Amino acid sequence: MKYLLKKLFFGLAAGFFLLTSCTKEIPITEVYVGDSTKYDPKPYTIVSPWYFPSQMNIPADNPLTVDGVFLGRTLFYDMRFSGYQSADSQMCCATCHVQENAFECGLNGPFPNGHPVGITGIATPHVMLPVVNLVWQNNGYLWNGLVNPNNPNPYQQRLEDVVEIVVEVPFEMHSDTNKARNAIAAIPGYKPLFKKAFNTETITFKLMAKAVAQFIRSIVSVNSKFDQYLLHETSLTTSEANGFVLFVTEQGADCFHCHGGEGNPLLTTYQFYNNAKDTVFTDPNDHYGVTGDPMDHGAYLAPSLRNCELTAPYMHDGRYTTLDEVINFYSEGLKSSPYASPLMHKLPFGGAHLTLQQKADLKAFLLTLTDHDLTSNPAYGPPPSFP
Amino acid sequence: MKNFKYIIVAFLLLAFMFSCKREDPIVDIPVRYGNIGFQFTNNVDGQALRVDTLIYTNAAGNNYLVNEVQYFVSDIILQNNNGTFFSLGTGSELHYVDSDLPATSNWSVSDKIPVGSYTSISFTFGLNEVRNISNAFLNPPESNMFWPLFLGGGYHYMKLNGKWIDTTSNLSAFNFHLGIGQTYAHDVIVVDSITGFVQNYFTVTLPNSAFIIREDKTTNVEIIMKIEKWFNTPNIWDFNVCSATMQNQAAMHLACENGATVFSVGTIQ
Repeated sequence: MKYLLKKLFFGLAAGFFLLTSCTKEIPITEVYVGDSTKYDPKPYTIVSPWYFPSQMNIPADNPLTVDGVFLGRTLFYDMRFSGYQSADSQMCCATCHVQENAFECGLNGPFPNGHPVGITGIATPHVMLPVVNLVWQNNGYLWNGLVNPNNPNPYQQRLEDVVEIVVEVPFEMHSDTNKARNAIAAIPGYKPLFKKAFNTETITFKLMAKAVAQFIRSIVSVNSKFDQYLLHETSLTTSEANGFVLFVTEQGADCFHCHGGEGNPLLTTYQFYNNAKDTVFTDPNDHYGVTGDPMDHGAYLAPSLRNCELTAPYMHDGRYTTLDEVINFYSEGLKSSPYASPLMHKLPFGGAHLTLQQKADLKAFLLTLTDHDLTSNPAYGPPPSFP
Repeated sequence: MKNFKYIIVAFLLLAFMFSCKREDPIVDIPVRYGNIGFQFTNNVDGQALRVDTLIYTNAAGNNYLVNEVQYFVSDIILQNNNGTFFSLGTGSELHYVDSDLPATSNWSVSDKIPVGSYTSISFTFGLNEVRNISNAFLNPPESNMFWPLFLGGGYHYMKLNGKWIDTTSNLSAFNFHLGIGQTYAHDVIVVDSITGFVQNYFTVTLPNSAFIIREDKTTNVEIIMKIEKWFNTPNIWDFNVCSATMQNQAAMHLACENGATVFSVGTIQ
């Protein structure tokens, strides 16, 4: 009997493994099918390998639906979203969040050196963060974590709020939510899309933000070479494997305490650290600006290293344009201050002091984090047409 | 004649079955239950921990601060006055405590605990080899405790992070981390030279931890981590000698020896 139970258990486990292992295939859906204006919400399913977090940051009042995600995708790419009429003043999320650059602007994007400016030419306080895998980000959005569930300001708590902030702040769309709503509401073709997504043809900015947030939550990066390695579908080269060892060992480069690894495939803890790159801290938009805790001076979000090959420039202020510069910084460039995170324990030595070969290996590993499905999946690209 | 044989066999079987019944309890005494909850607090030198404050001095004379402490306790066992043991079961096998997440300091155990007097509480500090499986926790904050497979896998038993004033009067960082240790073939601490792994979890029996479970009542037990004990008993810890433990089994061994006296019971109500 025990033997049978054991067999049954392992049979079920094997079946479960097979089922879940199949989930690595990302559904690629280019054409949105359905011309009915009937409200018939179908849940949108996030598909990821078994080792990804099971808990997702999806608010109860904004579940992902196929129609909601499609509407959000359309708005994400619609230049009229900013609310301006003149073509040279128009802007949308995709103006800066470029799919080919893992939803950052990148060095080859619309802004010199990857330093974005808003619609009126005002520079953003920080460089960009990618809108990828945010469905698993629970600990606050933006480099300083301003938008977080514990913010007493009810308009600075959720991803939906970030969409509103982006429309309003002078260094991004420099518009207002009424203007944006009016621009979209004036387009007759949007009404049926809102009807399908939210069962109403009354377009509000709140619904626009909900739809965009749904689309952003649908953007996941789960199929890099590193994922294929974790799923035993491919092997790493010797250099990549050596780099992986350096990444996850304390005696190596010790990246993993902040940036995850095989046990945290998001490649970030989504927490805020002062990573010892400065000695003086005057940025009012650091994590200290949010928490008021003196230990948070100079602390910023640890960004996910997924697709870091494509997301230059690096650090909150974009001071490094290549991964080599970043690796050199962590190897020899750490700067001492009372605010450096305790996890920067190689600070007294200036860094990890990697050899040239180790640096090359670490970089080789970082390049395995690029996910070409993310950058080419038509489901994350512009809709076939705009209303 | 054939049928008679069957009757005899049936009779013997029945007799055997009924003879077994005699061992059943004659009187069914209904078991009554209560509940237990734990509150985890962190102290230094008898006072509640003040994080990020450079006010502590350890036995080696290091002036230090604590930034955060995060750890697992598991397999809690309650010893009854009658000599029996009650193990917290499904859903209550382990608990994660994080000084950055106040909600984790309270643990309302879902198990129903038989009423009675209990003489002691013991638990595993960290996770034993059955529980300490990589990717067992898919979600943060526990997933952020992962311990790399190259180094034995599973999870950190504890991260205790802070800073101290080093011999050059600079504020340096310590990462007092515990988890699976490694043995290395030679002095160069590289993954290639790992020859084996060492389970460093250990059992803690809380002194003076007698308590009573009353029917339909919750008994709350405060479990105190005396952080300074990690650094003084029996091994005096000097951060100038060791400030990062993760790939240093000799250091983790000493740390675990100190762990035996780190925990105590506070209020029970």
